[in-house]
Order: sequence, then C-alpha cells, then structure tokens
Amino acid sequence: MATVALSGAEKRRSRVAVLDIGLRYGTTAMALVTATIVFLIATFLIVYSWPAIAFNGFGILTHLEWNLGNQYGTGVEHRGGFTGSPGASFGAVVFIAGTIISSAFAMAIATPLAILVAIAMHYQVPRRLKTPVNTLVELMAGVPSVVYGLWGIGVLVPWISSSVGPFLAAHISWLSIIGSGSASGNGLLATSFILSVMVFPIMAATMRDVLSTFPKIVFEGAIGLGATPWQAVTTMVLPAIRTQMFAAAMLALGRAIGETMAVLMVCGSALNQLPQNVFAPINTIAAVIVSQLDSALTDPTGMAERSLSELALILFAITLSVNLIARVIMRGGDRVKRTA
Amino acid sequence: MKPLRIIFALIAFSITTTAAAFAAAELLETGSSLVYPLMNLWVPVYTKAHDVKITTQSTGSGTGISQAVAGVAQIGASDAYMSDSQLGSTHMLNIPLAISAQQINYNVPGLNDVHLNLSGPVLAGIYDGSIHFWDDAKIKAINGSLGSKLPHEAIIPIHRADGSGDTFIFTQYLTFSTPSWKSGPAYGTTINWPAVPNAVGANGNPGMVQACQGAKYSIAYIGVSFLDQTNQAGLGYAALQNAAGKFVLPTESNIVAGAAAKDKETPKDERISLIYGLGANSYPIINYEYAIVNPKQKDAATASEVKNFLTWAVTGGQAKTFLDKVHFIALPPSIVSLSKAQIAEIGS
Repeated sequence: MATVALSGAEKRRSRVAVLDIGLRYGTTAMALVTATIVFLIATFLIVYSWPAIAFNGFGILTHLEWNLGNQYGTGVEHRGGFTGSPGASFGAVVFIAGTIISSAFAMAIATPLAILVAIAMHYQVPRRLKTPVNTLVELMAGVPSVVYGLWGIGVLVPWISSSVGPFLAAHISWLSIIGSGSASGNGLLATSFILSVMVFPIMAATMRDVLSTFPKIVFEGAIGLGATPWQAVTTMVLPAIRTQMFAAAMLALGRAIGETMAVLMVCGSALNQLPQNVFAPINTIAAVIVSQLDSALTDPTGMAERSLSELALILFAITLSVNLIARVIMRGGDRVKRTA
Repeated sequence: MKPLRIIFALIAFSITTTAAAFAAAELLETGSSLVYPLMNLWVPVYTKAHDVKITTQSTGSGTGISQAVAGVAQIGASDAYMSDSQLGSTHMLNIPLAISAQQINYNVPGLNDVHLNLSGPVLAGIYDGSIHFWDDAKIKAINGSLGSKLPHEAIIPIHRADGSGDTFIFTQYLTFSTPSWKSGPAYGTTINWPAVPNAVGANGNPGMVQACQGAKYSIAYIGVSFLDQTNQAGLGYAALQNAAGKFVLPTESNIVAGAAAKDKETPKDERISLIYGLGANSYPIINYEYAIVNPKQKDAATASEVKNFLTWAVTGGQAKTFLDKVHFIALPPSIVSLSKAQIAEIGS
C-alpha cells in the first residue's frame, strides 16, 4: 500500500517536472511567436506599401486630397519610380485627423464615466448585485461593433440631426465647435459618441479589476479615520493606482483608434475636407480603407491599393506609438511612486 | 457519444454534398450589388433546368472586375464598362446583361410627392458647393410655379463613400452636361469630390436611402432597382433634363427611349456610356449592366457552361417576369445579337 502510494507520488513528481519544462519552452515559444507575428505584419505592410511610399513621398502626410486619379483617361503618372493613374493624389491628413480627433473626443466622454462606474462597481454596489452588474458591463464590451453601428444609424444619427444639433445651434451657436448645427447627423459627434459607448465598458471592466488589486483595508481605514467615501477614493485610492488606470484607458484608446465598422456607418465619410465643427462629417483611417477598397481594385496601376496599404501602415504606426507613449508614461509614474 | 454522432453525420453530409457539387460544373458570379438581385432571380430558375451550380455574390463592381481578371470568378458583374487603361494588355469581354437607370432622390418636406426639375449643371452646382440652398435662383428658374415653394434651407448632398457604379454613371451625367465638372472632378467609380461642408458619404444603395431619409433637405443618387425602397421611405425623385433640354422621369418608356438613342452607336465590344443620349424623351442616366468575362476560361467544360448561362441571360433571362422586379429594362434586339457575338468568343 505504502510503496504504491510512493511510486504514485514519484510518478506525479516526474510528470510535474516534464510539464514544467514543457511549460517553460512552450511559453517561450509562444512569446516568440507573438513577437514574430508583429514583426511579420510590419514587414508585410512596409513591403506591400513600398510602391506607394515611393510614389506619395511625404505628400501622404501633408495633403488633404485623396484621389485615385482618372481611370477613364489616358496615360499614367510617374513619381518616385512608380506609376499611378493620371491626376492621382493620395493625402491622408483628413483620415489621420479624423482618427485622432474622434478617438480623443470619445476618450474625453468615456474616461470619467468609466472611472465613476468602476468605483461604483467596486465600492458602492451591494454584494448581491455585484455579479449581475459585472456581467452586464462585460456583456456590453462583447457586443459586436456592427450592432452599435446599426443603433447609430437607426437612433443616434437621426436624433443628432433632429434634436441635439438644432438645440445646440439655437443656444450656443457662438461656440465655434458648434457652428450652425448639424446637417445630416452623420459626423464627428456621432462617431465620438458611438466610440465612447464602445470603449466605456472595456475601460470600466479593466478599471474595476485594477481597483480590486488595491487593498480594501486602506479604503476602509480612511473611512474609519473620518473620510467620506469620495475623499477616500480621490485622495487615497486613485493617486495610488493612477498608472494602472492610465494603462486601462490606453487599452481602450487602442480599440477606439482601430474601430472600423461602427465608425464607417456613422462618420459621414468625409473626403478632402477637415471638420469645421463637431457636426461635420469625418473619416478615419480604418473606415476609409474599407470604403475605398472596391474602387482601389479597379485602378489599373495598382497604386490605389498600395496607398490603402500605406494607410494601414500609418494606422499601425499610430497604434504602436500610442502604446509606446503609454509605456513611457507608466514607467515614469512608477518611478515617481518608488521615490515618493 | 451523441456529439460524435453529430460530427460523423456532418462529415458524411459534407462528403455527399461536395460529391454532388463535383458532378455538376461550378460557376462563380461576383460583383455589382445592383446586378445581385437580378442574379438571385435568374440563377434559381436557370439551375433548376440545367445541371450547373452557380454561386452569386454581391461584393461591388471593383471586386467583380478584379476577380474576373484574376480568374477567381467566371463572371464579374459591373455597372461600369472597363476603361482602356483598365483593360491594358488583358482581353476581357464586357457583355451587357440588362439596362439599368438611376434616379435622383431628394427629401424636401412638402415637395416629395411632386417631381422637382433638376438639370446636370444644377446638380453639378449642388455637388461642387456653388449652389447652397434649395431656393437658389438656378433651381427656381427651372421649376416654374413650384419655384416659390422651395424652402430657404441648406442642401445636403449625399454621395457614395464606397466605390460604385452609381457614382460612375451619376458623374458621367454631370461630366457630359457641365463643362466645369468635366474639367474638374470628371467621372469614375470613386471621384475626387469637391469639399462641400454639408456633404455626406454613405455606403451602398441601402445606406444612401437611409441617409436621405434621415436628413431633411438632402439629395442623393440611387440605383433604380431601389425605387420601391425610396418610395416607401417617402423620398421624392426628380425629373432630369436630357440632352434635348426636356425634363423627363425614369419611366420605362423614357429609359427605353434613352437606350434606343445609343443603340446604333454601340460598338462591337459594347463598351459605351448610355448617359445623356439624344432624343426628346430619353432619360439621361441609364447604363448597361455588364458581365465581365475572360474569353479564355480554364477548361472547355467551364467555358461552355459560362456560354450557356450568359446566352440564356440575354434571351430567356430578358423576360419581364425577371426584369420588372428590379426595374431593369430588356436589351434591344440589336444589342442582344452583339452580346451573343461576344459570348461566342468564350473558349478555353
């Protein structure tokens, strides 16, 4: 009986050892795979966009005009050793600006809300309601973006067009970002609003997780010393975890920047013009790639397709730099905390 | 055991269905979203009588052309014919399947149940931003007694954001009727739209209907196969000025008149614009819907199936029972024989 148990334990130990080694190599391999995939994506984008990079030069970052050129004309245009259709001009300023402005507006709306909801979920919601509330927020994060887009087309856009726009125009038209109000309802405001609705649950859920890592005893101690819950949260909790909260917001920003379908459905697909007020149509990099791809396929020189790929490269670079900046700020934050 | 049995059943099912698919030739049609509803009427009827499997997809004209050139699809559907530079050195057939038209829809409360008169130069002015308001003198001038009912409201011009055969034919109308548009944005499936602050881009014909319905004082160009939807949405549609100076509605007889005007001009390769043809009653925005086909198919069996289907499409497929449902018009006999001559070129 005893020998059997011993050999069983031995077997188990050796199996554990094998699993340990497997885990170590397995995880290393997977980590390498992740890095390789990112590297391969970047390489593919650069190689595939190369003709466009040469053809467009720096113009893509300075020109407003996006024009495939005349495919029913004659001749081609040579630039940088490559050819495009006559009159072709690929400027991405409108799309880069649209991506950044709409994401910034969305974050401005969603971040304060997400912080408040995370605090409420962690400290205020009664225990027996916690699970249903958490599940609801996570469900919101899981709703496919096309569903938000449909709601945007069916409800949000008409509402902005018929109520929000005229109301704001009537009362605060002196504010230049309001201007003469909305025309169609499609545009910057609708896009930012839909993006904020989409990123808010992700942010709230991650921030709640961040809050739960903070020892509750500190919060309770502060209450015990006579602080109000608001004082406890704003003076004790939030300053201590602000870098992690910032990381949560960055995660959400990443989603806002790359969001495609819902944006495409409500952004108004502006071409060749920058938004003059919050109701103006805009366009984002992700949305324009989808909406222009079919036309790009008919460009006999192939330059339109390559230029869309260059747009994807720019989007990739923006996402990457947002991540890097976030990392730098977080490291800075950590250092401050350590020295403090 | 139960899940396993289900998996086995699925495997068995997929084996039998692929085996069945291999028995018949398989064709892939992809492209224009305007042709798609027609294909959905044609294919079930045709495949019932013939031992062939035809898959249809609505992907957009650009995809249709590129997949037909690449050999992925046997038939690429396109609202626009291929240009010389698109053809380049490749030889692709552009075979008309039916005649389509486009209406100019607008959402001006109080005027949606009458038909406003609009002309190419006025539309060009609306889309290039030089005409801002519905009560602009240029719009009033062509609308007689209706002119006084036009509101002083800013016009919202809606255009397609995605590449589109509808953009192609609409901008051809502006190009052929308005010199300043010709030397400016000109025409194409996507064009360099002038910067108009109110302008909105929408995706697909359904998106155009939605956007026009949602925004008061807007204007949009929408394929005629969506006429039922735009009527349901309560939108108005305009009478357009043709080359003879007359304002005409997209009725069947006016579309037929427009097609007849270009009938004799149609060359052997059938790549021609029908826009803005002569004739007192010609509706100005009409076009052939094309099947883009490589004359050299991968094997003889595929080639003969493509030929059989297209031959049926331009003969039996021209019946009113099919075309009326999507508001398309049948090809005139002379065009049918040109199309048949092109279909005869398909081989392997």
